[in-house]
Amino acid sequence: MTVAVEMSNVSFSYPDAEAPALRDVSLEIESGSLLLVAGPTGSGKSTLLRAMNGLVPHFSGGSFAGRVCTEGRDTVEHPPRYLADVVAFVPQEVQAAFVLDRVEDEVAYAMENLAIEPRVMRRRVEEVLDIVGIEPLRSRRVDSLSGGELQRVAIAAALAPGAHILLLDEPTSQLDPQGAEDVLNVLQRLVHDLGYTVVLAEHRLDRVATYADNALGCLDGSVTAGAVPDILDLLQAGPPVTRLGRLLGWKPPPLTVRDARAAASTLHLPEPASVPAASSVPSGDSGADAVLVCTDLGAEYEGVVALRDVSLSFGAGEVVSLVGRNGAGKSTLLRCLAGLHVPSAGQVRWLGRQPRTGRDVALCPQSPETLLFSPTVREEVAVTMRSSGSPRAVDDYLDELGLTELSQRHPRDVSAGQRLLVAVAAVAATEAPIILLDEPTRGLDPESKSMLAAIFETWSRHGRVVILATHDVELAAELAHRVVMLSGGEVIADGEPGDVLADSSVFSPQMTRVFGRGWLTPEQVAAAVG
Amino acid sequence: MHQGAWLLWATAAGLVAISTTNPFYLLALVGVALLVHAACARPGPALRSLKVFVAFGLITIVTRTGLTFLSPPVSASSVVTGLLEGLRLATLLTVFGTFNAVSDPSAILKLAPRRFHEASLAAALALSIAPRTVVAAGEVREAQRMRGIHVSRLRMLPALAVPVLETGMEQAMALAESMDARGHGRGRRSRYRTQRWDRGSLAVSLGAALALAVFVIAGRIGHGDLSVSTYPLVWPDVSVVLVGILLALCVPVAVDPAPQR
Repeated sequence: MTVAVEMSNVSFSYPDAEAPALRDVSLEIESGSLLLVAGPTGSGKSTLLRAMNGLVPHFSGGSFAGRVCTEGRDTVEHPPRYLADVVAFVPQEVQAAFVLDRVEDEVAYAMENLAIEPRVMRRRVEEVLDIVGIEPLRSRRVDSLSGGELQRVAIAAALAPGAHILLLDEPTSQLDPQGAEDVLNVLQRLVHDLGYTVVLAEHRLDRVATYADNALGCLDGSVTAGAVPDILDLLQAGPPVTRLGRLLGWKPPPLTVRDARAAASTLHLPEPASVPAASSVPSGDSGADAVLVCTDLGAEYEGVVALRDVSLSFGAGEVVSLVGRNGAGKSTLLRCLAGLHVPSAGQVRWLGRQPRTGRDVALCPQSPETLLFSPTVREEVAVTMRSSGSPRAVDDYLDELGLTELSQRHPRDVSAGQRLLVAVAAVAATEAPIILLDEPTRGLDPESKSMLAAIFETWSRHGRVVILATHDVELAAELAHRVVMLSGGEVIADGEPGDVLADSSVFSPQMTRVFGRGWLTPEQVAAAVG
Repeated sequence: MHQGAWLLWATAAGLVAISTTNPFYLLALVGVALLVHAACARPGPALRSLKVFVAFGLITIVTRTGLTFLSPPVSASSVVTGLLEGLRLATLLTVFGTFNAVSDPSAILKLAPRRFHEASLAAALALSIAPRTVVAAGEVREAQRMRGIHVSRLRMLPALAVPVLETGMEQAMALAESMDARGHGRGRRSRYRTQRWDRGSLAVSLGAALALAVFVIAGRIGHGDLSVSTYPLVWPDVSVVLVGILLALCVPVAVDPAPQR
């Protein structure tokens, strides 16, 4: 066995950090394997990846002990640029990492730095464009690409210089199910056919668990290596099928939908209670109590039609998921509802009039960082309350959302999942009766997910309308009362999650795939089994 | 077009702006820059940053004129001097804003000889900051508006400035990390795409050089009132030749129009 990366007794702390990010990590990564790095946000996944190509400690600073050898090169002696020919890194935010404007130039960039002959470069560019399947994008501008395309361009750019170790930090978190599958297939092909070593940090375990050969589990900076099921057991994490297996005491818990089907073949489930018979007619109408209505909405984005003839109504207390591919029009619809984008046709009405931006309707952006600016979480919420003249006490409000513990922390200094919750709280402190969320998925670990679910429940009881756009079907299945599916700017399905998600092969949650229409979450199945 | 030609164009236009305080030539030059911007600006975030440069130009004019009131005695002459110098700076900013939008910072970076690599890298990053900040400011303004905070109020300035600066820092850091991790600064580089001095690039360079040369000569021989006399205040002359020669800076419009989207 050849070793691609070897770590011995590695400990590392970021400057000014209270706790170390890595504690005495020793491991060996075998060449030619696809390795999953799992763990909650803030557990050291990114740090571990960055330590493998020298970004930690060369760019991070901090105190570093132990030894990391990547293809036999000590990362302390070799800064990242002198490891670029053996290891390539694809960061979480690929957009910020692009150096050049055009796809083809971006792919060639690392090869230029390595002084590879122009003739060889030409050939390699063709090769990686084919491997990753982005040949048609070659002369496009990078800033005109969709999330999935960007991710694949970043992978092509990482592959081109010929490094055989590929490190990827959450490559599918911004992608829709199909886009994620395309990327994962590329990675699997690199490992199986071309002998690459791929190390993948990811929390969308429903997507990646089946692809990985082995796993590393991160918990508070300690890293454990092992088989995927064992590591998921250790972390008490896993895709819905694994969670179901654990709830029902299956040994070992299944990793894939296929395993789960086999294990569930003896299980007798009643008809799911939540599905009213034959309610699959897309109504787009919740009857007389509709408070937010959009009629014949059309919108254009930079000359391209983004929405057409969208008519929807939302009742008080509804939690609605908008699902659909990247670019299906989800964000545009939210922006129209929020009053940020002027529709080219149709109108939006809240109780019969135009909703006021920031008063009747509030939107939490995709990156919470764009609105956080206060020194404490408490102040961040208070500043919204002052602006909107809300009479409520800040501490009561934080208590209601379960954020009291974070109250004195710096909003940028908490975990990614918590940061999202803080942004949601800061936006919702406007007391706007309509709350919109654009892809609240980045860094959303199980803990913050259940807090978000609890927050939605509270709002729902208070009669607020909550609409979230997401490509994460499991999230939609867990949180929403109703699912609206968009495609090409049109509404193609609208109704109970159990119905809408069951009719799609790409957008169906794992429980639906195992047990059929109406089954959405492991908890629901386990309760039915008793 | 070869990015060196753009570099020459910007240098020539900038030097012409510095060489005169005659408002007729300055306004003609602003017109030329706006025309070139309209025809050649590349699509993307840089396209929108010109208005920031123009806004800064207007602020410069107001500030420079305002400064004259701080040093009495205030006369018509001193106010006009301030106004014209402000206009000159504003013209320079407009030229730079146009250059920012028409050129490709990364391609300019590649032109630099290896020993100037670090310096050219800093310059390229600086060129890309304006467009990125404009985009970030738009996003932040929107996000704050969605929770009822209007960043145009002075008291709420931190709500705009903090996220923009922090995001800017994070992005700059991410870019630096990415460049290093992809082998930037290892030493000798090779070139994937070579920029060629084609006829168009040559025409742009010649036009720029011609305009600059004529202005330098005019300054030497005192033709066309390049420096407007403000003590005493007299109506400046305008040379048709000099206004005409500024058209030589319009060559890019014919040579390098922006690709249609």
